[in-house]
Amino acid sequence: MGVDLLHYRPWRGRFHGPFAGVWPIARVALWMMFRRKLFWVIYGLGLSLFLLFFFGQYLLAWSESQLGESTVSIMGVKEDPRRIVDFFKSLLKMNGSAETYRNYFWYQGYMVMVVLALAGAIVVGNDFQFGSLPFYLSKPVSRWHYLLGKCLAVAVFINLMTTLPAIALFVQYGLLDSWDYFVDQSRLLGGILGYGLVLTVCWCLLLMATACWLRRTVPLTMAWTALFFFVPALVRGLVDVLHYDARWRLLDLWNCAYLVGNRLLGIPHRAISPSPQPPVYLAALVLGITCVICLSYLNLRIRAVDIVR
Amino acid sequence: MNEPKPPLDSLIDLCRVNRFYGDFHALRDVSLRLAPGRIGLLGPNGAGKSTLLKILLGLLPLSSGTGHVLGYDLAHAGADRRRAIGYMPEADALIPGLKGAEYVALAGELYGMPRRQAQRRAHEVLSSLDLEDARYRRLEEYSTGMKQRLKLAQALVHDPPVLLLDEPTSGLDPTGRDAMLRLLLAMGRDHGKSLLLSTHLLGDVERVCESVVILHQGQVVKQGTVADLRTRRQDRYRLQIQGDPKAFLEELRLEGAHVLQDNGRGEWTVTVPPGWVTRAFFALADNHDVLLRGLQRDDEDLEELFHRVLAERGKESGIGSRESGTGQPDS
Repeated sequence: MGVDLLHYRPWRGRFHGPFAGVWPIARVALWMMFRRKLFWVIYGLGLSLFLLFFFGQYLLAWSESQLGESTVSIMGVKEDPRRIVDFFKSLLKMNGSAETYRNYFWYQGYMVMVVLALAGAIVVGNDFQFGSLPFYLSKPVSRWHYLLGKCLAVAVFINLMTTLPAIALFVQYGLLDSWDYFVDQSRLLGGILGYGLVLTVCWCLLLMATACWLRRTVPLTMAWTALFFFVPALVRGLVDVLHYDARWRLLDLWNCAYLVGNRLLGIPHRAISPSPQPPVYLAALVLGITCVICLSYLNLRIRAVDIVR
Repeated sequence: MNEPKPPLDSLIDLCRVNRFYGDFHALRDVSLRLAPGRIGLLGPNGAGKSTLLKILLGLLPLSSGTGHVLGYDLAHAGADRRRAIGYMPEADALIPGLKGAEYVALAGELYGMPRRQAQRRAHEVLSSLDLEDARYRRLEEYSTGMKQRLKLAQALVHDPPVLLLDEPTSGLDPTGRDAMLRLLLAMGRDHGKSLLLSTHLLGDVERVCESVVILHQGQVVKQGTVADLRTRRQDRYRLQIQGDPKAFLEELRLEGAHVLQDNGRGEWTVTVPPGWVTRAFFALADNHDVLLRGLQRDDEDLEELFHRVLAERGKESGIGSRESGTGQPDS
């Protein structure tokens, strides 16, 4: 190594504030996620659900125009057009109503959960595991900027899978229906954004906290499976089969977000299935408490004292 | 944004700084006033060097005490202070998957540099540190020496006036160590950077630094220039004696010398008082009918001096603790 620093030149320029460091942190975290093929596969699966809703609308319109026929042929398969219309209208509620977006968020949520379970270790856990945290925190950014950057990366991914496609569906329904749709259903747009925001904030903080705690992919995946698969299954068993109090559903964080999302989309509480459901304010409270606990944990965990150990 | 502060007389100014980790007292009443320059922070593992660096950087709060780095209060101005400092951590602190140039540019952006400038500067710094060819390699593929230089590059990217270096030669082979030390020396001497070099290797400090602070068990046990430290070295000789050395050695002791070692094969190591001339050995040997078959200068190196200072300190604190103890007589 023949280093003589002959080419070293001083640098003079103006620095941005610490907030300017948030986007580079997010950008690197996103890049770390997207350089893995697995994420592209999951994102592709998520997109296929969006495409089902997107092109399903056209299929529905076409099927309705074919109701006079006894069977129609779709890609070589003979099918009764009434069954197709039934499928789209009753199961997916593909009519541009609040239920359409609710269902879209619900189904897409499974994909988001899978992604987040895998992403936690990459986005945050690795910084603890490989000692990258001192690299970030020795710069003018504080731990809150660091967290904000990481949350921003996760938020981008969540919204790419949920909110943005939902808005695209909203625009599509408006264009297929009439311009009045945008005016009459403008509340839905707010609901979509609100539901997206609830998912973003809650799942970001939960992911950050669990990733700081567990760090590695396998324990993280197990924790998320427990939180979003076993606990919901247990709760459904308790309430739907054993007829326990509906407030047991508050243990299911995904259901809590679902309840709040339904309220934001303007869906009446009695129309929410499965029923019975606990009051929405309790679900919102549970989500709020979860966020506060996660923030408190993160505040303790991402202190420099952890870097020293 | 705040403009860089003008050069100050004092680089680091600490007054009775303490830091606890639970019950563990990591820094005890550390008071220091250091002028800009190349400073070595010496101490064995667990002496509190890394804790002190992290306090200076604002990564750790003080438990008590006050202090300033480049005029920035340690209790406030964490972001501004960190912008004026380049920190090279001891641990790898790398982001697997990134390439060298991306990593250094990211550091620049985190310091607040505009993206384009950070990228351009990253290439410049990597070239100047002889990592030009490795710029587009993933960090996992870097050797230990390259990783060390890369960590130095990310600390230098925003051209800070001060560099905090935590064990910069850790894990390097002798050639890599030599190159890193030359690099640091050039950085301080030719480019006017102030260095605070934390290490447990005295040789590193001796080669790079002008002044030195010795930490032990969280306390400053010595502070001064490296030249001062060198003058405190003991003048030592290795003598090979033929004949009965008893009277000769006794005479040496009367003249103020200390016999340190006897290897059992007629070879002694003695320290001599300041101003001793080598001829005196021969004169004394003549007086006591012994023959000096070998006489070799064997001065204490800084490493030994360092350990002696720590041992003296240990003895002093032992006496101190006995004096302040229960007052019972020694058995």
